[in-house]
Amino acid sequence: MLKKNLLNNETGSGKTAVSNGVGYKTGLCCRLIAALNYAFWIAVFGIVNAPLLAHIVPSETYHPVTESYRRMSFVLNLNPVPWELVKSDIENLTAGFEEFDAERTAQIKDSFREALAELGEEMGPEERKRIARNIFEISTPAVADLLIEQLERSNNSLNDYRAAQASLDSARQLWASFHHEVRYTDPPGFKKIGMAWLELSTSLGSPGFLNDRAVPPEPERFLTNMSIIRDYVAANYCGEFQVPQDSRLEPLPRASVTYDGSRTIPTKLPPGSEINKQLPRPRQILNMAERGVDEGETVLIALGDMAFDSPFILGHPARSLLISCNTCHNKSITNPKFSIPGLSTRAGGLDVSNSFFASHANNGHFDPLDIPDLRGIRFTAPYGRNGRFDSLREFVRNVIVNEFNGSEPDPVLMDGIIAYMLEFDFLANPNLNLDGSLTDLASEEARRGEELFHRPYRGMNGRSCATCHVPSANFVDHKRHDLGTMMRSSTFSRDGSLDTPTLLGIKYSAPYFHDGRLPTIQAVSVWFNENFDLGLTERELGDLTTYVETVGSGIAAYEDTLQTLESELEEFSFFLSAYEFLKQNGKWELIDITLQTITHEIHAHKWDLQDPQYMSILNLMAETTEDASEAIAIDNFETVDVLVAEYRALYAEYADRLY
Amino acid sequence: MKNRKLLLGIWLLPLALIMTEKHNLAAAESNAELRIAFIAYQNPDQLLENVKPVVGYLKHRLGMEIKEYVATDYSSIVEALRNKTADVGFMGPLQYVMAHRQAGAIPILGEIYNGKATYVSQIFVRKDSGLKKLEDLRNKNIAFVDPISSSGYMYPLDIFRSKGLTDKSAEKFFNRVYFAGGDEQAIRAVYNGFVDAAGIGQYSFNLLRSEERDEVVAIGTSRPIPSHCLVARKGLSKKTVEKLQEAFLNLSNDDENSYLLKYLYSVDGYVKVTHENYLEVEELGKRYDFIR
Repeated sequence: MLKKNLLNNETGSGKTAVSNGVGYKTGLCCRLIAALNYAFWIAVFGIVNAPLLAHIVPSETYHPVTESYRRMSFVLNLNPVPWELVKSDIENLTAGFEEFDAERTAQIKDSFREALAELGEEMGPEERKRIARNIFEISTPAVADLLIEQLERSNNSLNDYRAAQASLDSARQLWASFHHEVRYTDPPGFKKIGMAWLELSTSLGSPGFLNDRAVPPEPERFLTNMSIIRDYVAANYCGEFQVPQDSRLEPLPRASVTYDGSRTIPTKLPPGSEINKQLPRPRQILNMAERGVDEGETVLIALGDMAFDSPFILGHPARSLLISCNTCHNKSITNPKFSIPGLSTRAGGLDVSNSFFASHANNGHFDPLDIPDLRGIRFTAPYGRNGRFDSLREFVRNVIVNEFNGSEPDPVLMDGIIAYMLEFDFLANPNLNLDGSLTDLASEEARRGEELFHRPYRGMNGRSCATCHVPSANFVDHKRHDLGTMMRSSTFSRDGSLDTPTLLGIKYSAPYFHDGRLPTIQAVSVWFNENFDLGLTERELGDLTTYVETVGSGIAAYEDTLQTLESELEEFSFFLSAYEFLKQNGKWELIDITLQTITHEIHAHKWDLQDPQYMSILNLMAETTEDASEAIAIDNFETVDVLVAEYRALYAEYADRLY
Repeated sequence: MKNRKLLLGIWLLPLALIMTEKHNLAAAESNAELRIAFIAYQNPDQLLENVKPVVGYLKHRLGMEIKEYVATDYSSIVEALRNKTADVGFMGPLQYVMAHRQAGAIPILGEIYNGKATYVSQIFVRKDSGLKKLEDLRNKNIAFVDPISSSGYMYPLDIFRSKGLTDKSAEKFFNRVYFAGGDEQAIRAVYNGFVDAAGIGQYSFNLLRSEERDEVVAIGTSRPIPSHCLVARKGLSKKTVEKLQEAFLNLSNDDENSYLLKYLYSVDGYVKVTHENYLEVEELGKRYDFIR
């Protein structure tokens, strides 16, 4: 089909047209030619070979002062402000400020001390904001001064290449404290400073190698460019640096003549954030797939799968950060890496009622939750760690609208997500009989542990572990209990009940408890032993742990490959299998979300491609879905039909080479 | 009887010598220490921490004490090899051939990335720049990495020379030539539009975030560059070199320990190399006056 299109191309116009189907054909042909042409150049130039796992975004590395400054700037904007984290970052900052002379260092320390002294237990919003602003206004000029100090040191040590380079490197790293905001609000300033850094590194000269090829420094050129950076930083961030009342705390270059405050700054997560997913991926088990059902005919599930992977059903900032349900629940299983300073206390957890993702639904207190495993979710109602929703549908809607600021989802989309989630199955576990008892395959230790699991304990008022984790009911009792693990609002309040979690699959969802405070199953056994006076010996604790691990294990919990591109592309075709259904029902908005999601996902995963000559095909596929989105925007639905067909044809032709 | 004593004495003397020699050899083995100089491209303290498992593996495998050093520049490694404070060190190809000339160093292992013991330099431009071929860069600005760099200067320079665009120097062809001070700084200088092009090693591209990579494209590629290598000092015993080669080669094939490779600059593995592998680098080094 594609070859035919190539032969039929007569106009030679490379312009992508979305106004009509005929125009599109011309555009597609030329784009395909361009793609193949690009493939030729790839062959000629041997374009870069992306390494394995290229879609994993490397963590940015920062100067320690910059790392603390940027993290602190982010969390000072939160409500509540995590003051302990702020204090810890202030300590890091002041350690970096020891580079100053004693007087300046003492002055900064005093300022921080005075600001922190104002912290009280019951601060109103205004007081909280004032203290936060105060700290930001102390730290910003200090970081800027340090940058200038390092620049001047570099300038003063030009005759000692290594010393000059070390100071210049520090200064350049410190510039990362401000450059994100400068890039987006002052592009001319950003370029001017960027050029100055290049001039500086070049005019530094080179010590040569083994007394050969030395290049002397150029002091005048160095001084000129150092002055450009110093003056810009001094004007914007030093001295009486102030943030206007009620403005977000961020280092905007307001004093620059080319500053444009109307420009949007993309959200940037603070240093220490991790939103990449784990690899190898957990093995997802969809019930209908296990039964051998043709996925092309389960369109509602396909729609739900797409929505689960789509940042575009959520609002900002989750959407702009490209966070989706799948980011935290990778293939329905806990992402143990996910973490955002100020919103997580540990990896694999998040305060979902915070001021960052959806300020309107902020509950005003810091209560991060461990990200739950969603395997077998249709068997584990109620939902939420505290069982706050009986209905999965209500729970999911709340996640979209209130936790992640999305608009009210279309009922069909909601139906899709629920249909998809109802397919999430537990891992098969040959150690368990249907009634939850252990099979003969289980070890002797596990068998002894099973007995302990069923034993009534006086410390638990004659109840056993199995009372709540009912083996015959997927190890849940569908009830909420207060075990005293929650921080209560007052001594006699009754707000600490939590939903009984299943033990199935638990081996792969560490850490444990609602806030992930316990790192291992053994630690959980010990906690119960100590808090409920179970009186278990060391050996019994080991047996109980082995039992829970046996119950919580399963066959092939993880995929056996690190390569995900092939299966991702297959999944995108699955997403698109909902197209005809959505079209018949006039759900063009949902089709648009589907197309946007596929476009985004192709770009996110394409760098994993093993044979770079097919990169052009992946780009063409993404371009096709992107154009289809644009066609929807102008109600040109015929073109969408053509483009979807072209996408499918491209995939059919190249699927076996796209891995 | 006397004769018997003498006879016994004659027999015993060589035995004592052998025993003494054996004893000395054993002492030499047990006291032997191999000193490895690692190159730190970023954080030396972190690298020292990262290589600990590798050092542990080598210690076990070679049956020798291993002393690890971290250097932040290649000159220090060559100096260490020259004055025998290090026995082996990691080095770039150009630095190796210069060190070979000046200190008699020899390469013993080459790094493998993506299944190859070579890599390339490329000339990157922004896709939206309208720059399609190398000739388009005449009188434009370019960033290289460092004045003494294989993939970040000499080989990119050679891309232009092989097209007849430059001679030994880039100055006449370009408007401004910058040395960005690092791979990431150079590729970002292009991405951010500070310069028109960057001449850098192919893997620099991966330092861009995935969404940024679509903005830049390579319009020229160098001849293959032999990969970075582990270099032995002049005079290091053949036996030690062979044991070391065997230990590193074994890492690639040893499922249990292959994870250690990620601590060694994330290589896929190693291959034995000799000076022959670097003859072309040497030739280019002469052409561009790195070697005189």
